[in-house]
Amino acid sequence: MIERRAAPLDRVFQALADPTRRAMLRRLAKREQSIGELAAPFRMTFAAASKHVKVLERARLLRRRIQGRSHFCRLEPASFAAAVGWLRFYERFWTGQLAALDAVLRTEDTDAAISSGKKGENT
Amino acid sequence: MTPGTRPIVRVTHRFNAPAERVFDSWLDPKTAGRWLFATPTGRMVRVEIDARIGGQFIIVERRGAEDIEHRGEYLDIDRPRRLIFTFGVPKYSRDMTRVCVGILPRETGCELTLTHEGVLPEFTDRTNAGWMEILAKLAADLA
Repeated sequence: MIERRAAPLDRVFQALADPTRRAMLRRLAKREQSIGELAAPFRMTFAAASKHVKVLERARLLRRRIQGRSHFCRLEPASFAAAVGWLRFYERFWTGQLAALDAVLRTEDTDAAISSGKKGENT
Repeated sequence: MTPGTRPIVRVTHRFNAPAERVFDSWLDPKTAGRWLFATPTGRMVRVEIDARIGGQFIIVERRGAEDIEHRGEYLDIDRPRRLIFTFGVPKYSRDMTRVCVGILPRETGCELTLTHEGVLPEFTDRTNAGWMEILAKLAADLA
């Protein structure tokens, strides 16, 4: 449990780093699927699909429902939203930084134009 | 431990100023102190920049009663096209991340692309670039 709290984002990004798992999530966005259904388009064994499902489950991107002998997977979007939010924070941070730099350079230009204007040059 | 699984953020900005001037704004303490890691309500109290490869920077801004220290080391300085440095805020995290600033001169001004790798340098893996695009695409599907 402590481990689950310690690095959830690392785990989410690790889960999302694999293209097969991302494709699985896209399919799950449409509807709940069994592990067999998830495996089918990737020409992979049930065991291989099950491994991917486990990684997604540990990242809390997916929830499993067991019905008889079948395991059904459903999307759990909360972790995903956290990952997007984290990246958006940095994206906004740097966008703001570059806008601030731009403003500093423009202010310098305006100041330079004013001081050269004072020397008798217009425009 | 799987390398390269931590995300990368990339932003681009077009400047009217020439590449050299934009590049120097990162390393000249007087200019950098006016914007780099500055917030609208904070007050810059310390800007130390040792602008050479292996040199360190320390930029401290006072926000309310709190001093926030940003520090890092320059890994590559190639005026005016490329600047790479590590970056961390020791108060918040022991992690050092990596920032790469690429500047392309244009007919007028220049275009700056900043890549922030939320990874330790040894875990960097270029094949995992574009996290925002990957997530945006997924998010669109999930919406």
